[in-house]
Amino acid sequence: MNREIFALSLRQLLGRRRTFALIALALLPLLVALVFRMGDTDTDPVDWTANGLLAGLIVYVLLPLVTLVLSTTSLGMEIEDGTIVYLLSKPLSRAQVIIAKLVASWLPAGALVSLSAASSAAIALPESEPSLILAFAIAGCLGALAYSAVFLLLSLLTSRALVFGLVYVFIWEGLVTGIFSGTRALSIREYTLGVADLLTAARQFDARLDGVTALVLMVVVTIAFVALAIRRLNRFETRSLF
Amino acid sequence: MTDDLKKPPAAAQTIEPVIRLDSTSRWFGNLVAVSDISFSVDPGITGLLGPNGAGKSTVLQMIAGFLRPSSGSVLVRGRSSWRNDKLYRYTGLVPEREAVYPFLTGYQFVLLNARLHKLPNAAEATARAVRTVGLEDAQHRATGGYSKGMKQRVKLAAALVHDPLLLLLDEPFNGVDPAQRLHMMGVLRELAAEGRTILFSSHILEEVERLADNVLVIVSGRLAASGDFRRIRRLMTDRPHTFVIRSSDNRRLAAALIEAPSVKGVELIDGGLSVRASDFGAFALAVPPVARDAGVTLYEFVPADQSLESVFSYLVNR
Repeated sequence: MNREIFALSLRQLLGRRRTFALIALALLPLLVALVFRMGDTDTDPVDWTANGLLAGLIVYVLLPLVTLVLSTTSLGMEIEDGTIVYLLSKPLSRAQVIIAKLVASWLPAGALVSLSAASSAAIALPESEPSLILAFAIAGCLGALAYSAVFLLLSLLTSRALVFGLVYVFIWEGLVTGIFSGTRALSIREYTLGVADLLTAARQFDARLDGVTALVLMVVVTIAFVALAIRRLNRFETRSLF
Repeated sequence: MTDDLKKPPAAAQTIEPVIRLDSTSRWFGNLVAVSDISFSVDPGITGLLGPNGAGKSTVLQMIAGFLRPSSGSVLVRGRSSWRNDKLYRYTGLVPEREAVYPFLTGYQFVLLNARLHKLPNAAEATARAVRTVGLEDAQHRATGGYSKGMKQRVKLAAALVHDPLLLLLDEPFNGVDPAQRLHMMGVLRELAAEGRTILFSSHILEEVERLADNVLVIVSGRLAASGDFRRIRRLMTDRPHTFVIRSSDNRRLAAALIEAPSVKGVELIDGGLSVRASDFGAFALAVPPVARDAGVTLYEFVPADQSLESVFSYLVNR
C-alpha cells in the first residue's frame, strides 16, 4: 500500500464537516440504546439488542451509509475535480492506488461502525454479553471492508455512485432480498449478519445465511471487487481529466 | 530512476523523436475529437495552437497516456504511451484544470508529488522546484487560498519536481497575470535550453508566438499546419483578407479600388464596401492614395475576418 496516497486520502475524507456528520450518525445507536435502557419494558434486552439495535440499526442503516459516503468519495471526488491526475501520472501501479484508497475509506468506516456497535450494545445490555458485542464489532468491520470494495468500484464506473449505492442498499438489500430468498447470496448485509451469527454465542440472534457460507462469500466478493476496481483503473479513461 | 532517464539527452543524440503521432484518431461515440493526425516533436518548445474545442487536450491526454487512441499510434520515446507507467518517470504534466488539494500547502503539494515519484531526496527536490517557479513566499500557505496564477505555478513546480525530460502543459497561462506569465515563460525557455522537450497548448496566438520555436495548429481535430512558427505566421498574414470600408462615396471608391492589383473583389454592402484583398500589407498601403486620388474621404477601414477561428479555418481549407 502506498502510504502517501493513504495519508492524503484520509485527510481528504476526514474533513471537518464530513467527520462531524459521520460521528453524529454513529452516535444515534447510542442514543437509541440509552432510551431503551431507561424505558420500562418487558422486552428481552439481549433479543432487542441483537435484532433491533445491532442488526436493525447498525447493520441495516449505519454500516452501509457510513461506508457508502466514505468509499464513493474516496476516488469519486478526485475523479470529479480532476486531482486524480496527480496520482495516475506517477510511476506507481494502479493497484497501489486502489489499495490505498480502499484502506483509507475502510478504516474510519470500520472503526466507526465497530465502536458504535460495541458501545451502544454495552449501554443497552444490563449484563455483559461479550460474545454478542464482539461478534457484531468484528462482523461490522468486515462488512465495512466488503461494502467499501463494492462502492469503490461503483465510483469508478459512474459519477452517480452515491445514488446507485443507495438503490443497492435500500432497494436490493432492503426489499428484494426480503422477498426472494435466493438473492440473499448477493447481499453484503446478509453476509455481515451471517458472520455475526457465526461469531456470537447468543441464541437470540439467528441470521438467514449460514455463517461459514456468509464468510466465504464476503471474502470472495471483497477480493473480486478489488480486482475489478484495479482492472477498471488500469483502463481508466476520461475526457475531462486535463 | 536511472541516469539515462533523468538526464536530458543532447538533441544530436536523439534519433527517435521524443513524441510521435502516426495517423492518430480519437473519437467518443459519434464525436470525432482528433482525426488522423501525424506529427513528431523534438526537444525544444512546441506550441499546440487551436481554438477551444479543437482537440488540443485530447492530443495531450493521449500523449500523457490517459486516453487510448481509437486508431493509429502515440509513441513517447519509441514506446506506446497508453498504459505505460514508466512514462511518468521522465514526464511532467500540468493539467488545465485548476484543482489541487486545497488543504495542502504549496510546499506539501509539491512534496507529495516528489514522494509519489519516490525521489531519494524529496525535500531538496521540492525546495528546488518551488524556487524555480518563484513561489517561496507563498509555499507555506494552503493552496485553497491561492490565486489562479499561483495554482498554475504550483502545478508547474509539481510537474518539475522529478526533473522531467518531457513536459506537457495544457493551457498553462490561463488566468496568469502578465508578470507571472513572463516569469513562467522564462522558466520554460530555460528548461528547453537544457535540452528538454516542452509541449504546451494554447488558443492564444501571441502566447505561442512568444514562446514556441515550433507550432502545431489543430482545428476541428485535424492538423491544419505544423512547423516553424514564422512560416505559419506568414501563411496566416498572407491569406486573403476581407475588409469593410465606409467612405464619403462608396461607389466611386469601389471603381477606383478594383484597379488595384492587391484587390480580388469589391462588393457594395449596406452603407459601405466589402473588399477582398490578396495581400494584407500591399492593400493596406494602397487604400489611402487610391481614396485620395479618387477624391473620396475614408470614414472607416475595418478588417472583417480577424478572429482566430477565421484564421484557423483558412489554414484548414487552403
